[in-house]
Amino acid sequence: MFGYNLRLALKSFGRNPGITALMVLAIALGIAVCVMTLTVYHAMSGNPIWWKNDRLYAVTMDNWDPDHPLMPNTDLPPHEMTYKDTQFLFASNIPLRRVVMYSTLGVIGDVGAEPPVQIETRVTTADFFAMFEVPFLYGDGWSESADKPPQPVIVLSRAENDKLFGGANSVGRMLHWNDHEFRVIGVLNDWFPRPRFYDLNGGSFQVPDAAYIPYGWGSELELLNQAENDCWKPEKLDNYRDYEASDCVWQQMWVELPDAASRERFQSFMDSYWAEQRKEGRFPRPKNNRLTDVAQWLRDNQVVENDNRVLVGLAFAFLSLCLINTVGLLLAKFLNGAAVTGIRRALGASRRQIFAQLLIEVGVVSVLGALLGLALATLGLIGVHHVYAAAHLGHRGGYTELTHFDVVGVVWAVILAVAATLAAGFYPAWRIGRLSPAVYLKSQ
Amino acid sequence: MSVDIRPTLSALLRNRTGAVLVATQVAIALAVLVNAAYIIVQRIERIHRPTGIDEQNILVIESSGFTNRFHQTAAVEEDLAYLRGVSGVIAATASNSVPLSNGGDNETLVTRPDQPRLGYINMLEVDEQGLDTLGVKLVAGRNFRHEEVQPPRTKNNIQSFVPAVIVSRALGEHLFPQQNPLGKQVWDAFKHAATIVGVVDPVMGTFPGSEHPDRVFFVPRLPDEFIVCRYWVRTRPGQLDTVTRLVESHLAKSNPDRVINYVRPLTYFKNLSYLADSSMEIFLLTVTALVIAVTSLGVFALATFNVSTRTKQIGTRRAVGARRGDIVRYFLIENGLITSAGVLTGCALALAAGYWLSVQYALPRLDLYYLVGGVLVLWGIGQLAAWQPARRAAAVPPSVATRTV
Repeated sequence: MFGYNLRLALKSFGRNPGITALMVLAIALGIAVCVMTLTVYHAMSGNPIWWKNDRLYAVTMDNWDPDHPLMPNTDLPPHEMTYKDTQFLFASNIPLRRVVMYSTLGVIGDVGAEPPVQIETRVTTADFFAMFEVPFLYGDGWSESADKPPQPVIVLSRAENDKLFGGANSVGRMLHWNDHEFRVIGVLNDWFPRPRFYDLNGGSFQVPDAAYIPYGWGSELELLNQAENDCWKPEKLDNYRDYEASDCVWQQMWVELPDAASRERFQSFMDSYWAEQRKEGRFPRPKNNRLTDVAQWLRDNQVVENDNRVLVGLAFAFLSLCLINTVGLLLAKFLNGAAVTGIRRALGASRRQIFAQLLIEVGVVSVLGALLGLALATLGLIGVHHVYAAAHLGHRGGYTELTHFDVVGVVWAVILAVAATLAAGFYPAWRIGRLSPAVYLKSQ
Repeated sequence: MSVDIRPTLSALLRNRTGAVLVATQVAIALAVLVNAAYIIVQRIERIHRPTGIDEQNILVIESSGFTNRFHQTAAVEEDLAYLRGVSGVIAATASNSVPLSNGGDNETLVTRPDQPRLGYINMLEVDEQGLDTLGVKLVAGRNFRHEEVQPPRTKNNIQSFVPAVIVSRALGEHLFPQQNPLGKQVWDAFKHAATIVGVVDPVMGTFPGSEHPDRVFFVPRLPDEFIVCRYWVRTRPGQLDTVTRLVESHLAKSNPDRVINYVRPLTYFKNLSYLADSSMEIFLLTVTALVIAVTSLGVFALATFNVSTRTKQIGTRRAVGARRGDIVRYFLIENGLITSAGVLTGCALALAAGYWLSVQYALPRLDLYYLVGGVLVLWGIGQLAAWQPARRAAAVPPSVATRTV
């Protein structure tokens, strides 16, 4: 029966090839636009470490100017912390793991004949790799004892290791970082969390840092955060020690708290520290000590751009337009063929059989539309990718990262396409199935 | 005309489904068209705001010193002397940041030493060639003098300030409403005073994405020793590529204690800053065009269908005396009625969508002129799409009426 209906459907397409092509095209365009915007939205709204969402927390405290919040129009504290506050909170052993860090710039040199090159380098405490589940290709990270006093060890990203050592196992090799000698102790495997949740400075889809060094090097080499430093207080800032003692925010802190109890303990630890400091004249603003999970952190920092939400809305408006169009075309087409349907009914086909036959016809249209739509979306995304890549001069990171098709996306697109078109075809098929055959056998 | 509307309407009401479908399409199309057009126009205006900068002829170089032997002042002096000597270069300066790049420094600038912060203001470090390099125009006062240019701030001297600043006109108006800012004193976060010696206009700073990208002040100082140093180089028209190649190869080797991170045209940074806007613009334009195309298709298909199913009635009308023009008019009026119903619904839909956008995404409220324009466009498209089927209907010969039954 299915095969027979399928043959009938193909025959019917042959009768009105133009109208069939238009229907397929309308569906395809609607699907293509939806798949494109959803792909980008999906990439933007991802939580790359969702399985730890109930354990990982960004730590923030509001130490800002009593008269002016740092982030106007929100009740959020600054997204970075002062050096002194992170030092105090880091000393707590309540969290299972804890990280204080920031990104700085360093020049890597003295590796073979390669000219020296400046790279983004993360100054971080040892737990970074375990806490964010960073995969290693060779070697490993450092232990906490290497943070302070700092050991001259460095971890490279896979891309950086490819560039410097041609992808070889470089563990144990020496190199110069800002004219200081470091020993490679680990090389990361491919790792590209999108968005780069742990540090959203400079754009949410930046490439992870090319190298990682122990936190103590910050004070030792007087390193600064290369992306964002904010100060508000007119206080003495005559040297790096003053800066470390100041109310400037430039350090990022994350903790891993495995359960609700430890979370509450750490929260009250923060609160009591805040109260103590407030007695000494710090924290002039209302209490705003936050432990923010990754999903909320991404929302707070508005990783998904408004434009993208608007585009998804627009895409669905367009899809509905295309589907309504298809309903109209299907109705017209079925009514055109009503005489044939009438004859079939007169010869004994039941309403249900007619309905099934028409629905199969709709199904074929929807599958064709969905396939063409996916093809168009792929072309469209490739086009968008090229536009973004050209604007980035071919470098990775930024919007270029938002145009990746993934399997889940494709499956959703196909489901969306077929479901939408079948829904659109339901009404015409039902209406034609209900027609009394006599009318259509009479005239014309 | 008015005589024709009643029978047309009654015929329409007898066969509603197709008409309702097309009217719904028109309504959605209007809502999309109007709001998309509004957003597109805003983006275009945003991208084309005046910057005052000779964008096409400027290249940007970033240099990082990385050894203890590196000395910022000496390096900058040497590099600038070289850059200014390259043929095809009009002017060059050293700075803390890159214009139009959405990165840079904001610093406190207030009009009384005891005043609380007025918020951050975009600060650009330049020397006496800074304004000429950008190509911005002084509208009052004077440029910086060579002897005013301060040495770089160092880690042990973060708080140094400058004797003179040049402000954008927008910043002058912000700091000193209704007054001439020239000659006025301003203070930094550490209560150091400086005098406003010049006013430039128009100019855009380093943050095109901020609320007030034109509130900018220039300070005569070499870039901080502890950050990367950027050079801006303005070339004669058409010489950008030549100069880029030349300086790239020279600077790469001229000083072993620093690295050159890039030599790029300023347009690269501007394009990247506006990438979201320009891609939004392209996407909206494409979807709007598709919306119009699909809607026209819907109107056309319904009209064609109506004509084909009514061939006999048309023939009958023709046989009893209707002229071709009457037939054409009948179909155009029918289409007009459907489009009008769609447009009416569409107005409500467009306003609702506009309101939703303004509330949810802080976009400005929809301008009603766009609605009027959208209504006219859809009306026109409806009539155009129905024109060809209506003509075909008019071509039906009266004899058809007599052929069957």
